[in-house]
Amino acid sequence: MLSCRAVKDAVLQARDLVKTVGSGRAARRLLDGVGLSVTAGEVVAILGRSGSGKSTLLHLLGGLDRPDAGSITVAGEPLTGRRGGALARIRLRHIGFVFQQFQLLEELSGLENVLLAAQLPGAPAGGVRRAAELIDALGLSAVAAHLPHELSGGEQQRFAIARALVNDPELVLADEPTGSLDAENGAAVLEILRGLRDRAVVIVTHAPEAAAIADRVLRLVRGQLHEHENISLGDVD
Amino acid sequence: MLSAAVVVSYSLGGGFARAARRADLPDIIARFDDEPASLIAARIRSLPDIARYSLSYEETGVELSFGSHASGAGVAELLERPGRGQGYALLAGRELPARGADVLVERGLADAWGIHLGDQIDVGGLGPERVVGLVEAPDDVAYPLAAPRVYLSRRALGARLGPERDGRVNLAGIWLRNPRYVNEVLSAARSISYGLRNVQYATRAAVRILLDQAAGIVIDLLVALSLISLLTAGVLLAASARAEVQRRLRALGVRRAVGESRAQVALAQALEGLLVALPACTIGVVAGALATGGPVARLLMLLNEPPAGASMWPPLVGAWLAGVALPAAGAAWPAWRAAREPAISLLRGGELGRARHPRSSLRRAVALAAAPPRRLSRPAAPARGGLATLGVRLVAARRARLLATVLMLGLSTGFVLLMLALASELSALQTDPGALGRRYQLAAALPPGMAPRVRQIPGVRVATPRYDVHAADSFALGVSVEVIAYPGNHLTFEAPPLVSGRRLRGVDQAEVGAGLARALGLSPGARLALALPAGRELRLGVSGVVSSLLDDGRVAYVPAAALLRADPQAPSQLAAVLAPGADQAAVAHALARLGGASAGAASALVGAATEPNGRGAPLVRVLRTVLVAIAAVDGLVCLYALIQACALTVFERRRALAVLRACGASWTGLARVLMGAALALVLPAAALGVPLERYVFGPALSRLAESYAVLPLAASWPPVAVVLAGLALAAAITVVWVALSTARAPVVEGLAER
Repeated sequence: MLSCRAVKDAVLQARDLVKTVGSGRAARRLLDGVGLSVTAGEVVAILGRSGSGKSTLLHLLGGLDRPDAGSITVAGEPLTGRRGGALARIRLRHIGFVFQQFQLLEELSGLENVLLAAQLPGAPAGGVRRAAELIDALGLSAVAAHLPHELSGGEQQRFAIARALVNDPELVLADEPTGSLDAENGAAVLEILRGLRDRAVVIVTHAPEAAAIADRVLRLVRGQLHEHENISLGDVD
Repeated sequence: MLSAAVVVSYSLGGGFARAARRADLPDIIARFDDEPASLIAARIRSLPDIARYSLSYEETGVELSFGSHASGAGVAELLERPGRGQGYALLAGRELPARGADVLVERGLADAWGIHLGDQIDVGGLGPERVVGLVEAPDDVAYPLAAPRVYLSRRALGARLGPERDGRVNLAGIWLRNPRYVNEVLSAARSISYGLRNVQYATRAAVRILLDQAAGIVIDLLVALSLISLLTAGVLLAASARAEVQRRLRALGVRRAVGESRAQVALAQALEGLLVALPACTIGVVAGALATGGPVARLLMLLNEPPAGASMWPPLVGAWLAGVALPAAGAAWPAWRAAREPAISLLRGGELGRARHPRSSLRRAVALAAAPPRRLSRPAAPARGGLATLGVRLVAARRARLLATVLMLGLSTGFVLLMLALASELSALQTDPGALGRRYQLAAALPPGMAPRVRQIPGVRVATPRYDVHAADSFALGVSVEVIAYPGNHLTFEAPPLVSGRRLRGVDQAEVGAGLARALGLSPGARLALALPAGRELRLGVSGVVSSLLDDGRVAYVPAAALLRADPQAPSQLAAVLAPGADQAAVAHALARLGGASAGAASALVGAATEPNGRGAPLVRVLRTVLVAIAAVDGLVCLYALIQACALTVFERRRALAVLRACGASWTGLARVLMGAALALVLPAAALGVPLERYVFGPALSRLAESYAVLPLAASWPPVAVVLAGLALAAAITVVWVALSTARAPVVEGLAER
């Protein structure tokens, strides 16, 4: 049991998202009217070929980037039209990120990396206690004081997940969480994500294994999200 | 900073040589009491190795007035043969004609009073004289540091006013065929100076030493400062270039893969660096030259030295080339190093220069493998300092850069403190005669016998004769010495601080100034041999070395009895120390009335003892402005270095900071990280800089200046507090600036970085 909290339905709601990259003749519409709703306890996997816009969608959903059009709401807080400081506050309190490359700070130990997010100004109280619980629950106590380069890939990713959860967010966004792991570690990480039952989890991935743990599998094709059953095999990896 | 240092060093360093060359300064300048020109000419002609000579009459205490300006202490030099070879350089206008009411005016005077060619100036009751030329004479400093000076043609004056003082001269300039023999000629000159009173010799070399000493301190400081700035700029630029190359590693790999040579890759990076360096360096050199050009030109004018002019171009171009070459080389070097790796390694990315992981080493790896796993024995405690500690670690990851930046900031802190302390002490010099070791307030040209009457003047605590004779060292005749003697304890009237040895106790002892001690290699216990103007020699033992501003420290305090035994006619004044709270003006007035009673003392000098300082006020003001400007420039350099070091850390670790922002850090979170980074640079710098100034720079400069004045240059706590506050402000500006600019960059760009 990683954490318990009362959550509401529809933690994430995105409507008619449009995002174009490049300019002039090189302009390319990556997202063309994407809509998505994820409720608490739901794990959604988004599949798509390289360059289809999966990571861009994840960045928009996490308030790291701004859409050209459309609206996003996380835990009842609108992201669109908000200033950078407000977006940072929403990320701090409501969103946790897990990255493919783990993105642990190499100067800090595993424990310190987890605590880092809890020590940001405005972070919810109780971060230190939660960090200890998460590290314990994820089986990282033995290596908590180790630096990232002294850890295996699986351990690093588990610390990254602990960091994403330390502020008890309602929404967890994972970008290729198993992309840098072997099959065994990848499966362990997916199991952890599957276990976050009281949170909304969005995973963008190439890996078919990720789809296996998801409650819902979507595919991003030509800028639009489709249910898994509605597309032909030629449109996916 | 480099161009500023070049301008100041080159202008001041070569100023005297340029001035002496332009003015054709005599190798020996002799001053003496009025004598017939024919007698002096005959004596000079009897000297060996004489190329030529000039004679003139120097009238002091001349009334000069122009418009609203007036001075009763002017100097009019009556030239026997106006023209080149008189020891001055004509800067504008023409030479004095043989007839007519014309005058040459010293440039410093013309500048201060606003005199132009064609204006008319009143000279000593002669009536209006037309200004036909502006001149400078490098054997003395300019007005207002020295008395206002004009030059007249003796022949023209004689034609107008009759043969007044005809044939009498008191100044001679001597040019030698071979200046190397100046000591021999001086020795011969002293041997034939019998009968002449108050003879003083000055050599071109002695004048140059005096001026070089004054400029030397400023030049040394500026050069040191600019070298430190250059070093820091080099470190920061190299680090910036390294980070840029690291970012472009794959692009370099592609270029190597398609066949570009290592040199071509480095050259391309160098050209990129050049594109930035060219305009930046050009602007920097021009700005530095413009910023310092004005004050330096003013300083040169006060020293009666010409500006460097076109000869400044080669060193400035050299500074420009250095400024351009450094960033270009700094950009090329990391590319050159990176390009030695196989193209495939570059294409895979990787770490430039194989940066070490923190705490990683073979020993660490072995220990790690052998040690049991570390477990959390209790709930995790937060890392002390949190985000600020992260900032410290980010900065500390680049140890060489951290060290260079801390060193630069520390040295700069020390320099700024030194500049502020020096500027503050210069202000004190203007108003505090005690800084010169002088304790009497008034001096009057009255005979020694008047001392009892002076003591009876209300407000006078004590008065005594002060004997003052210009002598020369018997073994180095070019070194002039001001010999000062009091009948009793001279400390009541002049107490220059003792540098070494002890105070004089017997009639055969002397205290010598540090300038004289350095020039002659004297120390306590040595023998001092002085050739007096009267022709006798005075030999005394050196009891101690004192720090004195008088005559650049070329001074000797001797017992009056010893001096009067060798020269019973030694000139004297009466020095008066006033009682606390006494009305100085009233005492001066009473002294003037006493002087008025005796013939010859009608113009009796009654001068405040601080007058020499007051006359030096413009120089002090200019120097203080230069020092404060240097401190301000240094402060800006510190701010730049701090911002650059933090910005560079952010640039190199933008992915880490992007992760932090993805976790929810706003600009205030980033500011906390940067605060740690800035403190990691500023605190050690302050800890280094303050003691450096108090225990190294300050005492060192005090020793350098001890022949000029007593300058306790160890910074007091108020300037230390100001500098520390400045460092804190610089850190705050850096933190806010870099945090805001980082927060403005898109998070996803940082996350996309490898």
